[in-house]
Amino acid sequence: MKPTAAIVLLTALLAFYPVHDAAAGGPVSRFYDYIYNPGDLKPVDSTLKVRVGDRAPDFTLPAISGKDVTLADFRGNANVVLSFIPAAWTPVCSGQWPGYNIVGDRFRQSDTVLLGISVDNIPTLYAWTEQMGELWFDVLSDFWPHGAVAAQYGVLRSDGTAERALFFIDKEGVITAVEVVDINTRPPLEVIFQELDAFDQK
Amino acid sequence: MSQRFSLSICFTVIATVMFLATARPAATETLPEISLAVPESTEERAYLGLEKKPGETFSLAEVDADILLIELFSMYCPYCQAEAPRINVLYDLALRQEEHDVDIRLVGLGASNTQFEVDHFRDTYDIAFPLFPDKSMTFYKKLGGEGTPGFLGVLLKEGQDPEIVLRQSGGFDSPEEFLEKLLESAGYK
Repeated sequence: MKPTAAIVLLTALLAFYPVHDAAAGGPVSRFYDYIYNPGDLKPVDSTLKVRVGDRAPDFTLPAISGKDVTLADFRGNANVVLSFIPAAWTPVCSGQWPGYNIVGDRFRQSDTVLLGISVDNIPTLYAWTEQMGELWFDVLSDFWPHGAVAAQYGVLRSDGTAERALFFIDKEGVITAVEVVDINTRPPLEVIFQELDAFDQK
Repeated sequence: MSQRFSLSICFTVIATVMFLATARPAATETLPEISLAVPESTEERAYLGLEKKPGETFSLAEVDADILLIELFSMYCPYCQAEAPRINVLYDLALRQEEHDVDIRLVGLGASNTQFEVDHFRDTYDIAFPLFPDKSMTFYKKLGGEGTPGFLGVLLKEGQDPEIVLRQSGGFDSPEEFLEKLLESAGYK
């Protein structure tokens, strides 16, 4: 090898040699690497069609577990919390239900069922929620007819996603509280606990 | 002969440059000012070596320790939930370092979490070290957080600025290995 060639080769090696430790540390969670960030969105983009005191509109939706879930089946047996999220694989949503996954005891203590609802289809919801660990609550797909249940409650946005909303429904099937929050933020956990306390006092 | 000589000089020079580049001391990074509410719990105040009272604030630089490990977490993060039992093991291992005259203290900052959410996380996983809410993510941003869980190891030396000696995005598999890494980064191994 000629000296010139050797210099070129070694210089090339040097150029790609790591001169210091890049970010010491382990892998970043892959789940969060796959999240699509749509940026800041219009806080609320729909008009509620139900209010506190109304009977909650009934529905039947498929769950990722394979069964169909009908709201009316809980009447007389359990309180229900509906958690609508805008879309799978987006930032705030991906950090909402995993939090609810560690409050199952509090829901059971108040005889309350949590139903997560998204306008995504079952395969997408399956892949997404698998990353959250084993969820204790049912996740329902309001994909087809697209967003029909979200529209029934008045939380379907103009772009086909849903609002970030919570509906609290007592054992009589009556809506006791509604929280439609800014889509860019997560409702604080204390809101849920407060309404579960209210169920307990009935 | 002269070609061989040139080549060997060339190798020597480049190898030396590579060695020096690798061995050069990294630029130090000072811990930014993080001001937190003094914990209500007597045990937590004692753990951090704080003489201030609840209602006052303290700076992380005031923690009475040789090494401070900051965990960036969120109650809503499934990876932080999975990591919690390992962090508890790390907490116990870190306490045992006192036998080797190294005081290590842990604190957690709950990114985008309220006090209520942080408390729920603490109760769910029996976390013994102090956790603080960071609802507006001010601390997370100041500390250059890159996802949760994340860790910053800080070397605390009297009369010197607190120095960030370790950054890690993501969790760890072995608390023992992570502790070794922390001690090495801080120059205790």
